[in-house]
Amino acid sequence: MSSDAVKKITFRVQRFDPEKDRKPHFQEFIVPVKRGTTVLEGLLYIKENLDSSLAFRTSCRMGVCGSCGMLINEYPHLACHTQLEEFHADRLTLKPLPNMPIIKDLVPRLETLFEHHKSVKPYIIRGDNAEMEKPTAGYIQKPHELDEFLQFTYCIKCGLCIAACPTSASDLAFLGPQALGQAYRYCADSRDEGQDQRYQIVEKDHAVWNCHFAAACSEACPKGVDPALAIQLLRKGVAAKALRVKKTTAPALLATSLPQAKPKIDVPEFTVKQK
Amino acid sequence: MADKGPHQNYLGMRGWIWAGNYKLERYLYLLHRITGLGLLLFGLFHLTATTIFRVQGQAVWASTIDFLDNPLFRVGEFLVVAAFSYHALNGLRLIIQELGFALGKPVPPIYPFTDAIRRKRAWTLVTLAAIMILAVAFFIDFSIGGWG
Amino acid sequence: MKNTYLQLAQMVTGALVAVLLAIHITVQQSDVVLGLLGIKVAGPTTWGSMMERAHQGSWVGIYISLLAFGLFHALNGFRNILLETNLSASAMRILTGCIIAFGVIFLILGTYAPIALFSSYR
Ligand code: FES
Repeated sequence: MSSDAVKKITFRVQRFDPEKDRKPHFQEFIVPVKRGTTVLEGLLYIKENLDSSLAFRTSCRMGVCGSCGMLINEYPHLACHTQLEEFHADRLTLKPLPNMPIIKDLVPRLETLFEHHKSVKPYIIRGDNAEMEKPTAGYIQKPHELDEFLQFTYCIKCGLCIAACPTSASDLAFLGPQALGQAYRYCADSRDEGQDQRYQIVEKDHAVWNCHFAAACSEACPKGVDPALAIQLLRKGVAAKALRVKKTTAPALLATSLPQAKPKIDVPEFTVKQK
Repeated sequence: MADKGPHQNYLGMRGWIWAGNYKLERYLYLLHRITGLGLLLFGLFHLTATTIFRVQGQAVWASTIDFLDNPLFRVGEFLVVAAFSYHALNGLRLIIQELGFALGKPVPPIYPFTDAIRRKRAWTLVTLAAIMILAVAFFIDFSIGGWG
Repeated sequence: MKNTYLQLAQMVTGALVAVLLAIHITVQQSDVVLGLLGIKVAGPTTWGSMMERAHQGSWVGIYISLLAFGLFHALNGFRNILLETNLSASAMRILTGCIIAFGVIFLILGTYAPIALFSSYR
């Protein structure tokens, strides 16, 4: 396709309005596309020119916010991160992400994802509470210690891994690859001391042992986070703890020689309903 | 499910079987589950049959073996040993990898992204090759021994 | 740590069953291939050959441990699958009880024959 040639592609979009519909149905739109047009741009074209009632979620349009996850031709993608060219097809089927409820059309309800994420304590936990509340300095972390978990920090909470996971498909209480991956991300952080607390959470039913390493989550992840690897490494830690063969390392030290840390900013209001 | 309110979009048990166009490992998971359930069913049948007919003495035992010696059961038996080969060897791979071994270290996510299980796919392929060899060996064994 | 121990037991019994069942299947099924290698296990399913094994303590040990490990591995695996079908916690408790009872019954049933045959010999 030369850069300005326009091609017509049919978008087959799943529609569902909870106010009116009992069941989802499909609607087709013809969208003109050029080289480099993304699926999200196609959807924006539909909303601006063909049907303003179409609902989908988007914000950053550059693969950073994790809003626009959807099933494109039966595979989870970020709409903004996926160019139409890569499908080599004239028709595209768009559905909302499975394994979570639909709010409307292509908008899934991500509430459970956030609740599960929150439940694994995704923050640095330290014994020295006073220091956590009023930090006086940063913690020292060496580059090789950062490498242990850096990959897993790229999670944008888009939910694509949950749409891919076979356990999440049937088990609504399953914490899911996202939350378990983030549990490992914090357990592997050399500054953290909260491993025992998190191990107790992920060791329950519907958690780390209910992963069966189908690794579809890692395949689907648009940021290369590899949650399946994180879960297996988390299991290694949990099993080593249970067998009492886990090496304990002292948590990272305060960098007291470094310049004074900035004062702590206030905790923002919760954006998710609290139980 | 209420008429109004968000549509529940969980794939349920259907999602174990098919949720989209995924790669090999997701289907190995499915096959592991199917062979496991199959072996459980066979095991219970086998256990009941051998116990009940064995304790009744030689004549009953011989007639049972005779009854089972037909193509249908022989093919069934072959499927059982093939399923066992798969479940055992794939299971050994899973034991090693699910405890975080033979997967390598995390890598920085630089495009194009890779994931650990596919960087180490050689292990999976070696396992599958061993399963195939075993299945073929059993097939030859059954063929020479006769299918019934 | 209950689940972790259960899952580790699942892995250990899985590996043991793989070995024991491999022995069992090799003896029962591979007479032809083993024959080609010069190892003779003539007619493993005949009454005589079976009784011969039933009277050897090592075989009785193999059968009973295979049964115990196999039952644990299979029923715990089955329970793991049930756990992922979104059943309520109370339903799951009842099912777990049933599975344990079922396992015990089959363990008794399965050990009865080898022990009866073994002791009849003495
Ligand atoms: S719009 Fe932000 S990730 Fe696609």
